Amino acid sequence: MSGHVRLRDLTVQAADGTPLVAGLSLAAGPGTPLVLLGETGSGKSLVLQAIMGALPPHLRRTGEVVLDGQPLPEGRARRGLWGRRIALLPQEPWLALDPTMRALAQVAEVYRLVRGMPAPRSRAEAEQRLRDLGIEEAARLYPFQLSGGMAQRLALAVLRATDAPLLLADEPTKGLDAARRDEAALRLRDEAGRGRTVIAVTHDIGVARILGGHLAVMLEGRILEQGPSERLLRDPAQDYTRRLIAAEPSQWPTQWRAPSIAPPRPAGEAVVEGRRLGKRFQDRAVLREVDIAVGRGEVVAVLGPSGCGKTTLGDLLLGLLPPSQGEVRRAAGLAPWRFQKLYQDPPSAFAPHQSMRDALRHLGRRHGLAPTLFEGLRDRLRLPPALLDRRPAELSGGELQRFALLRALALDPVFLFADEPTSRLDPITQQEVALLLRGLVSERNLGLLLVTHDAMLAQRMADRVFTIEAARLLPAGRAG
Amino acid sequence: MGGNAWRVLRPLLSRLGQAGLVALLVGCIGFALMHALPGDQAFRLAAERYGPDIVDARAAAAMRAELGLDRPLALQLLEWLGRVVRLDLGRSLVTGEPVIQELRVQLGYTALLAGMALPLSALIGLPLGIAAGLWRGRWPDHAVLSLAVLLRAVPAYALGLALMVLLSVRLRWLPPGGFEGWAELVLPSLTLALGLAAVSSRVARESVAAVAASPVLAFARWKGLSERDAVRRHGLRNAAIPVLAVLGLQLIGLVEGILIVETLFGWPGIGHALVHAIFARDVPLVQGTALIMGLGVVLLNAAVDLACLLIDPRRGRQAA
Repeated sequence: MSGHVRLRDLTVQAADGTPLVAGLSLAAGPGTPLVLLGETGSGKSLVLQAIMGALPPHLRRTGEVVLDGQPLPEGRARRGLWGRRIALLPQEPWLALDPTMRALAQVAEVYRLVRGMPAPRSRAEAEQRLRDLGIEEAARLYPFQLSGGMAQRLALAVLRATDAPLLLADEPTKGLDAARRDEAALRLRDEAGRGRTVIAVTHDIGVARILGGHLAVMLEGRILEQGPSERLLRDPAQDYTRRLIAAEPSQWPTQWRAPSIAPPRPAGEAVVEGRRLGKRFQDRAVLREVDIAVGRGEVVAVLGPSGCGKTTLGDLLLGLLPPSQGEVRRAAGLAPWRFQKLYQDPPSAFAPHQSMRDALRHLGRRHGLAPTLFEGLRDRLRLPPALLDRRPAELSGGELQRFALLRALALDPVFLFADEPTSRLDPITQQEVALLLRGLVSERNLGLLLVTHDAMLAQRMADRVFTIEAARLLPAGRAG
Repeated sequence: MGGNAWRVLRPLLSRLGQAGLVALLVGCIGFALMHALPGDQAFRLAAERYGPDIVDARAAAAMRAELGLDRPLALQLLEWLGRVVRLDLGRSLVTGEPVIQELRVQLGYTALLAGMALPLSALIGLPLGIAAGLWRGRWPDHAVLSLAVLLRAVPAYALGLALMVLLSVRLRWLPPGGFEGWAELVLPSLTLALGLAAVSSRVARESVAAVAASPVLAFARWKGLSERDAVRRHGLRNAAIPVLAVLGLQLIGLVEGILIVETLFGWPGIGHALVHAIFARDVPLVQGTALIMGLGVVLLNAAVDLACLLIDPRRGRQAA
């Protein structure tokens, strides 16, 4: 099946001529994954779309994509290669699988409609593909009944059915928690091991490390450096690559000493406390008999995979949800807005049509705050005044999250619930925001509840770490 | 399989409960409203039965005694409810015929009208909506939007009158009213259908636009499916889900439209009958008609529920 790909001087330009990908030349072959590593906006996803021939219509591409010695045809003819010579593993496969079709049918239709096999044989082949990936029990299920990891395996089964020699993967681990992320990366490496040519795009160094092969670090549409993955990650030549590697939570400096097992209560007085908290949604108990207390000047982290109830716990403590059992006590004599929340997805926490200046002015008017207060906080959060006249869509995730932080801090909170505050941010920005948060906790003596699925991040940031398992809150060991 | 049967049964049972509630509410509210209307019921009934010229206080008193209208209102209501439980809608106070008899013919006419208007609205609204969704932001989209806003903004009676003036009076293509044959059916069903299509075209537009840009359709193409297969197998069903759900809501608008349109075009359906019965203060007929209409809406909604269950597996199933 071969699958040797060569990009020659690939350039993608915006409508106004701004280069988004500038003169990229790369090669990839069977067995050795090619990994493009970079932040949001580095142009790495555009490279995949250019190979696929699926660039948005307002972008212009020049340069050549050569597959097995032949330049790929343009326009509609390229589409004839989809599912035959080129396959693309979509970002967040659970959104790309048809929610109204059973798993088996989504694989079988490739055999039936793309490869023209008779129906019974298509089904048999599809069943075999599901078995290969260990999800045969999912055959009669619909995508919404699958976990994230299973949905990803189903998408892979579909792509194996195509038998295309070239497999592209766009952020293959987006939206998966740490354990699932490693599994997904390993599975993709297996695809390369089966003799396919794999080109993957990621912002996650952990994923690049597992995939191995050949690594190209991208910044602003260019390749900064490239080479064998192992050597490059061990001994990067560029300062940017070094910063990217240092931004991984496991590489952060450890500044805080903590006991190996988290004590159940804070050292000082608690600002928020939940006693024997329970929460049920319909028939499902999400939390059971949870005792938790957050004190001033400390970070308490709650770990757990998606859907385990950790966000619910924070919302209970804030009073955004009523508990089914137990009680929540907040420090007496404080206004309700001094207990604040930092949301996971910054763009959805702002009104899309409102500039930052207006958003802050409204907040100031509502609570009678002096404009000078905002200026001081803005400096502290390193947000230049020029950003004030922008709307949420015109700000980066990191900038917007810092505005969200500014908005919360302006109300002089004693307690902040940060719900996966950095999971949508690029690694270097993640590190900045996380360290900033940690610094503010000591500086302003506030209690921070951090909810995350990233164990390393929790260990680097928190004084006490807990996990949620089977609806119960348990103290977690800490590597320090 | 037990879980699957329950998945279908549960919404049907809840609709059944709803039907009971509708019967109770429609009966009580209809009864209360009829008695809250100004004018003497016995007088109006006598006028309807014997003609308005020969009615006097004596005739009205005789009427009152004959029909037992002087009994306490609560008793009259309870009597009606008791009969409804035994599936007996009572007799018309004007003609003395059983209400069910009176309604049987009229219901057929209304079913004909609704049965014509609904497919017609789908035929008009869905292709326009799909075209607007596929070419969103371009001229077909703008044209369909303007048309929908215009049709939605005009009340049904004004739209009906406009069509009547244009197609019957000016162009003389169609009869303006009556019920001799198919030609008479065209104008009222077109009036109803246009009002419904104004909404369904918008929903179809949004739904098609969302699906066309969704990762589901993109992945279907990336798998290697032809555009036709991708749309047929992954586009249509996903786009149909919200359209179908809105259809359930539209049925309420259909009832309202039927009242107005039937009266306007003199179509002898139950909407027409209801208006007449209200004028005559024929309380059992009003209650019976309203009840049939209410139950009709519940029944059609149950059918929509079933259709939604059929095309959307997420309904009534546990997620991961």
